[in-house]
Amino acid sequence: MFGYRISWSQLAWFGHRLSGVGVLVYLFMHIVENTTLVLGPGVYNTTQTYFRNLPVRLGEILLMAALVYHSLNGLRVIAMDFWPATTRWYRPLTYAVIIGTIVAMIPLGLIMITPYAPWNGR
Amino acid sequence: MAIGRRIWPVQGDPLRRNPSRAARPRPSEPGFERWMWYFTRISGLLLVVLAMGHMGIMHVLVQLTGQQINFAFVLARWGNPFWRIYDLLLLVLALVHGANGARIIIGDYLERGGLRSLLIGILLAITFVWLLLGIFVILTFNPDGAPAIGPFS
Repeated sequence: MFGYRISWSQLAWFGHRLSGVGVLVYLFMHIVENTTLVLGPGVYNTTQTYFRNLPVRLGEILLMAALVYHSLNGLRVIAMDFWPATTRWYRPLTYAVIIGTIVAMIPLGLIMITPYAPWNGR
Repeated sequence: MAIGRRIWPVQGDPLRRNPSRAARPRPSEPGFERWMWYFTRISGLLLVVLAMGHMGIMHVLVQLTGQQINFAFVLARWGNPFWRIYDLLLLVLALVHGANGARIIIGDYLERGGLRSLLIGILLAITFVWLLLGIFVILTFNPDGAPAIGPFS
């Protein structure tokens, strides 16, 4: 796919950048959205209704996944930078970050999708 | 005798300075770049707690308890100084941490020169304005002073 062998560590590094930029873009939007608080309850409550739909909720689940991944991978980076001895487990820890993100997102995703899920009487 | 698989700390390896293989090794000279290297890691540690706590409340607890985020919700939350300080800390740390990361990403993909300076300048300017906006909203939010009906409602 990439024309050359790409390692999991390269993918982990790229994922860290991608999730970081994604969260930063969301943060800019989030500040704008929260500024409507200054305009009073009418404007704020109306604005909030724009976010109560399936596409936005899927985006929020993606945001949660990006944050969980960025957090876990960031903890690995901090551990290895301050305690280089942990690099002995570079590969297992990188896999643990990826698997940990997927495992954490199963319950989190299920909880967050609840209002739009078919088992919720829809 | 080899104990386990030590990928990194090899004497004489120029990459030994970057054990985590993060975007950058710790800058060897003291100064702004080294300060930001430490800031990213320390703020990152705090943000794991602050941001995950924020997401856990806003997207998981609110869902589980069947609540809805609206003006009354914010009113109740920001009535407590603890949550205002929490949100203020989260805002400042996340925005500076994120903007610094974006600055390093721009620097990695663009050669030194006009376009790089321009993009980083725009990024820093926007970040500064958005930071002030966010701080303003958190600090000046006053339910008694807010109009009952907004201009667009």
